[in-house]
Amino acid sequence: MRQAIIDGLRQLVGRPLYILVMVVVPLLTGWFLLDLMEEGLPLRTPTAIVDLDHTSTSRRTARNLAAGELVDVQYTPETYHDAMRLLRQGKIYGFFMIPADFERNAVEGKETTITYYVNLSYFVPGSLSFKSFKQTAVTTAGGVMMATLKSAGASDRTLATMAQPVVTQNHPIGNPWMNYSIYLSNSFMPCLLQLIIFQITAFSILQEIKRGTSRQWLAAGGGSIVRAVLGKLIPQFCIFALVGICMLSMLYGYSQFPVNGSFMGMVAAMLLLVAASQAFALFIVAVIPNLRFALSVLSLVGILAFSVAGFSFPVEQMYGAVGIFSFMLPIRYYFLIYINTALNGYELFYCRWDFVALILFMALPFTMLWKLRRYCANPVYIP
Amino acid sequence: MSRLLSNIRQWWATLFRSILNELRLSWRDKGVVIFFLALPILYPVVYTLIYNPEVVTDLPMAVVDHSRTADSRELVRRIDATQYIGIAGYASSLQEAKEWAKERRVYAILEIPSDYSRRLGRHEQAVLPLYTDMSLLLRYRSILFALTDLQLQLGADIRAKALDLTPAAFVEGPQENVKAAGTQSFFLGDPTQGFASFIMVGLVVLILQQSLVLGVLMLGGGSRERRRANGGIDPLWVDGPITAQVLGQAIALFFIYMPLTIYILHFVPVMFSLPHVGNPFDYLMFIAPLLLASAFFGRALSFMVTERESCFPVFVFTSVLFLFLSGLTWPRSAMNPLWGTVSCLIPASWGVEGFVTIDANGGTLTDAATPYYMLWVLAGAYFIIACYVERFVRAYDRRLVVR
Repeated sequence: MRQAIIDGLRQLVGRPLYILVMVVVPLLTGWFLLDLMEEGLPLRTPTAIVDLDHTSTSRRTARNLAAGELVDVQYTPETYHDAMRLLRQGKIYGFFMIPADFERNAVEGKETTITYYVNLSYFVPGSLSFKSFKQTAVTTAGGVMMATLKSAGASDRTLATMAQPVVTQNHPIGNPWMNYSIYLSNSFMPCLLQLIIFQITAFSILQEIKRGTSRQWLAAGGGSIVRAVLGKLIPQFCIFALVGICMLSMLYGYSQFPVNGSFMGMVAAMLLLVAASQAFALFIVAVIPNLRFALSVLSLVGILAFSVAGFSFPVEQMYGAVGIFSFMLPIRYYFLIYINTALNGYELFYCRWDFVALILFMALPFTMLWKLRRYCANPVYIP
Repeated sequence: MSRLLSNIRQWWATLFRSILNELRLSWRDKGVVIFFLALPILYPVVYTLIYNPEVVTDLPMAVVDHSRTADSRELVRRIDATQYIGIAGYASSLQEAKEWAKERRVYAILEIPSDYSRRLGRHEQAVLPLYTDMSLLLRYRSILFALTDLQLQLGADIRAKALDLTPAAFVEGPQENVKAAGTQSFFLGDPTQGFASFIMVGLVVLILQQSLVLGVLMLGGGSRERRRANGGIDPLWVDGPITAQVLGQAIALFFIYMPLTIYILHFVPVMFSLPHVGNPFDYLMFIAPLLLASAFFGRALSFMVTERESCFPVFVFTSVLFLFLSGLTWPRSAMNPLWGTVSCLIPASWGVEGFVTIDANGGTLTDAATPYYMLWVLAGAYFIIACYVERFVRAYDRRLVVR
């Protein structure tokens, strides 16, 4: 056993590729994600305003819009067509249009409409400028309405509540800043780690079959495939576990993302994620003991995991036949634990089954290791 | 003079021979065929299937009704009737509703205060506390959209009723006056606000780039293995000027990718009715430099891949980086100078931007002029880099063998 572990370590330090991919890539990518989205929300989305009215009311509306933190009015095109071209070209994500004779019509009580156009091909900036536009449009229209009502004789007390008789008072649990990075980095960083674990596990084991050294490898493990595999996976587990904990400290220490529940629970989930991902990859390796093919499958699964694990689109809304695949991935359970524990601050008890699922992954490879052993005894490299 | 002519002749001969050679090599290599055929054919379909339900509907919400009046029940009925929210049930207390949230049975809790109906009757503002789960922004967005619309609609109804009791009711047509200033929103690109319709348009461009680069890296890795095994010379290689070889490979891949590009850019959106309003001439013209730039980009990265299979751990993770750098999720205008610059160096960033302009927003090639020129600039730059990298890699492998 000791010999197997020493051999496993020797393999890892023998090629710069291993340390580069195992340590530098995940930490660098983690830093990239956190640094890219450091502001939390993409503030000052480029937008435009088309003022066809040119009155004090329309200018006040334009100033109100520009005062918001979400949009940055960069252009003031003269016509709808100019604004539309800017929108199509992607130079702005939306524009706001005040129609001609807006002030006159509003005062006279004639119908007039404020319009705003948003490019939803870019979801986040589109939605944010939509929010800003809607707020300004509704407030302006509300102001006009109040003036009309007052002139019609409504009392001040009635007017005060008339604008919004019912309001919802929103409490976004765990992420009151609506920070986009909290939402994305917390899921994408561990998922990237899972992808890398998948690849390195397959790469390091099947390398032996490719090079035709699998017989010696098996012999160093005393002829036992379990011992031989453990010799490779234990040193890798230690490195990945360290990287995982570094990721947690980047998320919750450096970036100060909320940990409302048990931090030790998150550490346990991360360690289990590492082990479960190794087990998952080992299972695939045993089923398909061909370096290129196993790596293709694991890369495919690892990349699809970003979508199918339901980080952005909820799993329960996917087609049943698609959504079911999310439960075959370790990261899904880690993600559920993260939501319950770190984000929402619920007790660990409520994600007990997710922990059980992660532990069960470790039993998975034992069903197929016999096949890997057979292939290691008679290595054939198929390019 | 004749030497110059023979050089030119040799360059062209190398170009043609390497085009044919590259087509043959790609066709014979099972791993490369998977990247060049299976990946572009299957990936867009799988991705769209994941996101195809497009919008979040009937999100379970718990209601804690302390008011228990006709007004509060009317409110709950209206919420249940929205597309986005489905009422999962009445909880007897906030504590019980929280318990449901912990068990992931509901993603939002609405509390109706005991004085809800009384406040409406008194023309006072009624406040409804709402607790939302923030794990997925799509869920949060759906709840917020539904309730904001409902709030405006409810306000208009209550206002109309209240106005009948004021002197304003005697003035001619106050109801019409109230509606005098309206607001209206229009959406470009993804008018249904669906998730697949948003992400797939850009993602297909990224899939094209990534599959192409992975294939190039695997071909390169295979060639380096052969070179190491054969004393620094790849027996399957065409001899001649490096520029002609690099260009030849790119042209061969361009031929392979032409039918696939038409499939990805035209048939996939048609199959899943994704936004697809661009002129075929415009977007095919636009995507040509992307294919070339990706092929050269892959060749320029080939120094990192020393064997066929190491292209996976070395390159696959970049899909995540490039997705973010493309500006699809986080706008390029909001990136800091460092990442903004890195983003400019990736062909897919410009590819996504221009393709969205043409195919989702209905622009012309002229509207996508900046990304189009930038793709040609990148293609040229990566071609030059690829030639130097190729020369360096060959010399390196030869030295390794000699030693």
